Amino acid sequence: MDKEILELIEFISNSNFVEFELEREGFKIRLVKSGGGAVPVAAVPVSSLPAAASDAPPAASATAPQPAQRFHEIKSPLVGTFYRAPSPDAPPFTEVGKTVRAGQVLCIVEAMKLMNEIESDVDGAVEEILVSNGQPVEYGELLFRIRPSAPAP
Amino acid sequence: MFKKILIANRGEIALRILWACRELGIATVAVHSEPDAESLHVKFADEDVCIGPARNSESYLNISSIIAAAEITDADAIHPGYGFLAENAHFAEVCEACKIKFIGPGPGVIRQMGDKAKARELMEQAGVSCVPGSKGVLPGEQEAVSLARKIGYPVIVKAAAGGGGRGMRIARSEDEIRTAVQTAMNEAKKAFDVPDVYLEKYIEAPRHVEFQILGDEHGNIIHLGERECSIQRRHQKLVEESPSTALTPKLRKRMAEAALAGARAVSYQNAGTIEFLLAPDGKFYFIEMNTRIQVEHPVTEMVTGIDLIKEQIRIAAGEPLGYGQDDIQFTGHSIECRVNAEDSETFVPSPGRITTFQISGGPGIRVDTAAHPDCVISPHYDSLVAKVITRGNSRQEAISRMRRILDLMVIEGIKTSVPLLRRIMADPDFIEGRISTHFLEKSLFRKDRAGASS
Repeated sequence: MDKEILELIEFISNSNFVEFELEREGFKIRLVKSGGGAVPVAAVPVSSLPAAASDAPPAASATAPQPAQRFHEIKSPLVGTFYRAPSPDAPPFTEVGKTVRAGQVLCIVEAMKLMNEIESDVDGAVEEILVSNGQPVEYGELLFRIRPSAPAP
Repeated sequence: MFKKILIANRGEIALRILWACRELGIATVAVHSEPDAESLHVKFADEDVCIGPARNSESYLNISSIIAAAEITDADAIHPGYGFLAENAHFAEVCEACKIKFIGPGPGVIRQMGDKAKARELMEQAGVSCVPGSKGVLPGEQEAVSLARKIGYPVIVKAAAGGGGRGMRIARSEDEIRTAVQTAMNEAKKAFDVPDVYLEKYIEAPRHVEFQILGDEHGNIIHLGERECSIQRRHQKLVEESPSTALTPKLRKRMAEAALAGARAVSYQNAGTIEFLLAPDGKFYFIEMNTRIQVEHPVTEMVTGIDLIKEQIRIAAGEPLGYGQDDIQFTGHSIECRVNAEDSETFVPSPGRITTFQISGGPGIRVDTAAHPDCVISPHYDSLVAKVITRGNSRQEAISRMRRILDLMVIEGIKTSVPLLRRIMADPDFIEGRISTHFLEKSLFRKDRAGASS
């Protein structure tokens, strides 16, 4: 059961769900995504089943510093050259610490003379930029870590 | 000469190209899909770029990814290998537009040869005979009767939308032709929803004999002899050899002349292959031209001593062929066996992790493979695990070397075609050179059935 819950947490983390609730055979679990991946806010054993997720951080800890894997990762969807600004003399699209919204352009990856704008798919703040301006990137290369903002109440 | 070549392929051919680049002192860039990250071609290349996920259309067939990879690594040429983008005229055009040299013929020739009707027309103009038949779809039975009378029986009626033997009928006399056309049309209608059929001469027990061509960018075109690839299953070659046991010196000369005429007709550049069907009566017919390096190129290398991949690179770099036709010496005999990850009886693919991979070496043995112990044969890609090539002073020696290496080969964790290859190498008809494209179905497997019923 512990393994299943861990798998469930991982699945929810990678999904678009903000909240997830499951009840079966006297067992209830509720997961709310907050400040990054899924944080199990409550695993309520209705019967005598062990509370498998009870050692997970409580909801309050969601605002506490998260380990790196809790950040949302923006990876390059294509091979090309990474640019932080729309043109050499323009200011960068974003900087570390700046807030970004889902749909906002974070950078450009140039492939075959085409400028492909890479957008954020979450609201949040830029935690880290992993490649430097003008650097070649491959498919799947990690470009940004974004600290997602807490979901609206 | 090029400074850096991007290898737009995977598996054994990617490694084979990498070997040639190493020997020529050219830096290499490997491109790979996500599941291929641990492949040998990636590990051995000077640089590597992940170009996409497992799916071919998003990685090895992804033209913009591959061009972008060449641009960010500053590669000045791309070798496409075989399969994937090797015969994609559009890719060759994009390379040209991006000022990256495509190692192969120009896009125009790739396109012409890729269009079967156009290729046939060009070859006929060059005096190379093609399998006689209807020019396009048969209008009706009466036309079939008169055409069959003209080209002679037997004839085969094939569904235009065909494949897999459906909508195919052989007629051996005028009594059979009307029924054959009717049945083929009915089957074609049922199987493909299109009743269109065409008719061509049926060649009984043909052999597949192809000629290797090299042409430089200065108008020199030569041939490097033939490869016989008659041991096939459903048009997939299993065993190839050079020279062919079917050719007399006189017939070889005639076929080579035809192949050269075909290549000259399109001013062929780089390595290419002209495939013929050879009838038992010594008549031969053009099937198609492959505008790329072929899987079975090693048997030609083994009997001519010419490194075809290096020649492709030198030709693409604009160098003239350093020799003429008369300088080509053919010595000995070479056989290639394709070891595939598949059940040797059912031919069902058998991907998985190879636990043991042990192939011996020794005199006259060459193994082209990217496999190794603990590697994974991915279900995403083709099932070729290794090409085992032997060379002997005689065909008999090449066969006994092949039997020796197949007997002492240990591949565990997946099923392979090795048991079938061992049987072919021990088959009296194969040993005597009595083979045709029907060898597996009509000879080897029939013996199985005969053995089972006795």
